[in-house]
Parts: sequence; C-alpha cells; structure tokens
Amino acid sequence: MGATPMPTPLNPATETIVEEIGETEVLVGIPSFNNASTIGHVVRAVSAGLAKYFHGFRAVLVNSDGGSSDGTPEVVEQAIVDFEAMLISDRQSPLQKIITPYQGIPGKGSAFRTIFEIARRMKAKACAVVDSDLRSITPEWIEMLLRPLLNEGYDYVAPYYLRHKYDGTITNSIAYPLTRALYGQRIRQPIGGEFGFSRALVGHYLDKHVWESDVARFGIDIWMTTEAIASGARVCQSFLGAKIHNPKDPAADLSDMLVQVTGALFALMEEHHSVWRQVEGSAPVRLYGFQYEVAVEPVHVNVDDMIVTFRQGLADLGPIWREMLQPDTVEALFPLATCPLRAFRISDDLWTQIIYDAALAHHRYVLPREHLLKALTPLYLGRTASFVLETQALTSAEAESRIEALSQTFEKRKDYLVQRWSPQEERA
Amino acid sequence: MKEFWDTALLEPLRTLGGQFLTLLPNVLAMTIILSVGWGLAWIIAYLAHRVLRMVGLDNLSDHLGVSVALARGGVKSDPSYLVGRAVYWMVLLFAMIAGLSALNLHPFNQFAQSLLAYVPHLLMAILIVMAGYLLSNFVSQTVLIGAVNAGVPPARILAACSRWAVQLIAAAMALEQLGIAGNIVAVGFGITLGGVVLAAALAFGLGAKDLAKEFLEQRFGNKPRTRRPDDLTHL
Repeated sequence: MGATPMPTPLNPATETIVEEIGETEVLVGIPSFNNASTIGHVVRAVSAGLAKYFHGFRAVLVNSDGGSSDGTPEVVEQAIVDFEAMLISDRQSPLQKIITPYQGIPGKGSAFRTIFEIARRMKAKACAVVDSDLRSITPEWIEMLLRPLLNEGYDYVAPYYLRHKYDGTITNSIAYPLTRALYGQRIRQPIGGEFGFSRALVGHYLDKHVWESDVARFGIDIWMTTEAIASGARVCQSFLGAKIHNPKDPAADLSDMLVQVTGALFALMEEHHSVWRQVEGSAPVRLYGFQYEVAVEPVHVNVDDMIVTFRQGLADLGPIWREMLQPDTVEALFPLATCPLRAFRISDDLWTQIIYDAALAHHRYVLPREHLLKALTPLYLGRTASFVLETQALTSAEAESRIEALSQTFEKRKDYLVQRWSPQEERA
Repeated sequence: MKEFWDTALLEPLRTLGGQFLTLLPNVLAMTIILSVGWGLAWIIAYLAHRVLRMVGLDNLSDHLGVSVALARGGVKSDPSYLVGRAVYWMVLLFAMIAGLSALNLHPFNQFAQSLLAYVPHLLMAILIVMAGYLLSNFVSQTVLIGAVNAGVPPARILAACSRWAVQLIAAAMALEQLGIAGNIVAVGFGITLGGVVLAAALAFGLGAKDLAKEFLEQRFGNKPRTRRPDDLTHL
C-alpha cells in the first residue's frame, strides 16, 4: 500500500477532460477492443441504469479502448438512450462520457488501469466495470454492482450469473475451487468480468506494481478478486441473471487464457502465502439481488477433440508432467490413454492433486514457468472432457452440485499444499 | 688420452652442467609460479563458488530453468560450483602459461604465447556450446508443448528437429571460433541446413498434402470446416 505510485497512464487530452469534469460520485468503466457491434447496447444499458437508479448523482462513463479499428469509440460517443421509452423522467444529472485510449501492454488489465486512474483522480465513491461484448446486460446490473458499495459499505461486489453448465470451465474447474479453498470465501464467479469496487480499493489496486505482468491481460479479473479478499476488503456478490456475450473462437487462445489465469492465481499464492496458509474451510459470501431461473444458451462441446489432445499430451509431454507432478499423480493418468470413452474420468481427487502439484512446481521453479503453465492445457482439456461426460445427462443444478463437490475436495486436500509449500519457504 | 677424455667427455658435461645451472633459477621460478598459481586457483575458485552462492546464482538458475537443463544433461552439481571449477581451471591454465614463460626458452615462449592467444577463442567456443545446449533444450520444449496444444501429431519430431537445429548452429559457431576448418564448417552447415529444409518440405508435401489442401481450401476457398468447433467459453 505504501509503494510509490506508477507514472500516470493517461494521455494529455484525457487529463484535460478529467480536469474539466472535476469530481464524480459514481463511475462505470467499459474496456473495449473492436466491439462496435455490441458496445452500443452496453453503453445504453449503463446510461439507463445510471439515470434510473442513480439520478441526482454525478456520474461518469469511461470507455478505455485498445485502438479499435471498427469505430468502437464512435459508437460509444453516439449511443443514446430513449429515456421516455424507459419512463425515466429525471434527467437533471446528464451522464459525462470519457472516451480514451489506454496505454501500456495490450489487454484488459491495461484498460482497467486507465479506468482506475480516472476514478482516483475524480474521487469516485463507487465504481463498476462491465465487459463491452455483453448482450444480456440490463440497467439493473449497474444498480446491483454499485448499490452495495454506496448503501451497505462493501468494498468489492463480485457478479453472480446464471450460466450454462459448460460455460466458464476455467472458472468452474480451477479459479472458483482454488480461490475458495485458499482464501475461504465462496465467490462463485471470481473471474466474471463485471465488478463493483470502492474508492479505497481503487487506490489499493493502483499502488500495486503488476501492470507489466499477466495481470495486465486476462489475469486482471482473478487479481482484482484475490487482492480484494486478501487485503481484508468487505466482499459481496450480486445476482445479475444470465450472462450472454458475443461468441469467440475459444480454441484459438485457450492456452494463453489458461496461462494468464493460472499464472495470476499461482503468482498471487506467492504474494499472499501468509494469508491463505492459515485459512481453513470456507464461508458463504452475501448474495444480493432477486434470484430467478432463466433458460441459458446451449453449448456444443467436442469431447472427442479434447480427449485426443489430452492423450497426445500423455504420449508427448510425459517427461514434462513427471517434472511438475508427483509420480503417483502421473501414474494415475496413464490408464486414461487407452480406456474407452465412457470410462474416461479424471476424478475430483486427481484433479485437485494436479492443480496443487502444478502450484507447488510453479512455486519451486522446477520448469520455466511459461512451459509449466502451457503444459497444463491438455490436462485441463482432459478434466473438462471428463466433467462433460460425467454431467451430460444432469441438469444445471445437478452439475452445480458436482462443482460444489470438487470445491470441497480442494478444501479437504489443502493440507497437502500447505505442508509441501512451507519447507521450500524455510530453505529459502 | 687425457686430452681426449677432457675434450670428448668432460667438456660437454661441464657445458651441460653450466646450462643446467643457468636454467635452474628459471625452473625454480616455474615451480614457484605453478605452486602459487595452484594455491591461488584453489582460493579464487572457492571464493567465487561461495560468493556466487551467496548472491543467489543457484536460485536464479532454478528460475531460468538452467539447473533443470543441466540436470537433464547429466550434470547434477550446482551452477555456482560449476563456475567455481571453471575459474579454478582458468587460473591454473594462466599459471601454467606463466610458468612456461618463466623457463625463458624460445620454443616454450612461443608455445605459451600461442596458447595465450588461443584462450579467448577457446573460452568463447565453450560459452557458445553451453549456451547452445541450454537454448536448444528451451526451444525444443517450447516447440513440443506448443505443438501438442495445437494438436499437431508429430510434436516430438518437431521438437527434436528444433533441438538439433539449435545445437548444429551452436557447434558450427564454436568450430568457427576455434578456427577449425572454417570453410568446411560453413559449407557443411549450409548443406546440412539446406538438406533439413528440403527434407521437411518433401515430408510436408508428400506426407501432409491432404492437410495442406484442406487448409488452403478452407483459407482461400469457401469450403466449410469439416470439424465443428466448440462453443465452450472457458472464462
């Protein structure tokens, strides 16, 4: 907290606009890169949410753009809400828009850094960030992300979505169970993408020197959540309904995503060892909002391809896996090379052991870290295939109970991690 | 008879004795230089080992993957110890050259000067080979993991090719540094690399022509993908 702040990431034009507007009470940030097709809807939802639920507040919308070539900033500029159609009569506090390019390495984290910097300068009491590719965002999301900060004194609001059972598989198989077991708080969507945070937390985030690391890319979400928990901030969740966003080609950058998320998780374990080693079990986190059921979009999964990649990993990456995993962990994987599809399972115990072994190997530098994290990709695909095969006949609620069981296994086996982590600390 | 005895036997012996007595201080000097050099080599090597361990060279090597690469090559010692041994042999080598120079004999002087001039090349060649070995391990592992994650079946062959390519380049550079048949090395390297590229092109052309055809048709034609991609959202 007491570290020297990094140089300003704002450009001169943005600095001028920030000075002209002065202070604000609420601020909503939208990071973007070539999202012209979806960002208009997001901006309208944010504008309507601020007008409907925060009339009388000074409010600012910040679009932090990564150099879009499809006219994203123009769409943000021109997005207008028909307040009359929404029965919003109070328009005394017009929304200020700041559209700015971000500086630093390309990625969502750098975009957030610019939003944080503007929030700090404008002394915003409550801030929120929402993704620019959302199709299901409504004005109520803004209320749910900001209200707990202003009325209930929380510092951090994590989202709680309804998602298809195969939507968010890195969250379900790694980020949620590991974060819950380590820090003892059941935040169901620790890398959700939409968050609310207080002014105090903005200052804490900006004082951290992480902006040249994986945090500046996909790692930003898990970093924000973990830092909030580890710093002792008051944390809650808000129910936002279904999360539907623009389709991407996930296979194209799966390995990078996994590297950045698990890399950030493991790096945070180093930093907050003194916090997580003392935590036992986990506690529910307050959930705000009216919960309801909604049909979510179906997800097609190609299990065969996942198993082929896993088995190729088993054949070709065996020596690397032997360096990063315990011998019994690797031995338990070999029967999966030839077993029939129906019997293909990576149990909760085995998966927990794989993640804990990988975290320990990362801690001990048994391999170059980039290699270690990338070598997890076939294992992750194997576990995802196993989860799909196991839950294909289950409802979303039943599949959720399988994720709960996995999370409990992470908690039960945490001693394994704690005991093996410490000897290295003593030696160093 | 006595004159013959003096001329034929005693005179050469006297000359030899004289030469030996002239050389004796030089031999003594060489012995002292070698002894002191050996002692210094031991002390400097010990200090280098301890200091490098204290400043965290071993931990840094762990972080950079150097220790793992050394272990994979059958070298179990810590990097700080290895640097210490290198320093020991370096100092000892200089002491031997200085000792030979102390004899002040023309052939030895020439040999010592040649050896001294060759040492930087030798050191550079050793460094190139070591760096090439470590780099080849890193590159081959990167290629292997990347190929497996991309679902490329001959991942191990690609990794082995990349390893040998880097080691081949390193060996060629080291031999050039040593001045061993520079032209032959350059020509040999060119032929080998050309052969590898040609072999790879033939292998791809003959073995993966269907794959290439499918890729080009999908890329430039309007043929739909044969494999249906996932809708899976990982985050």
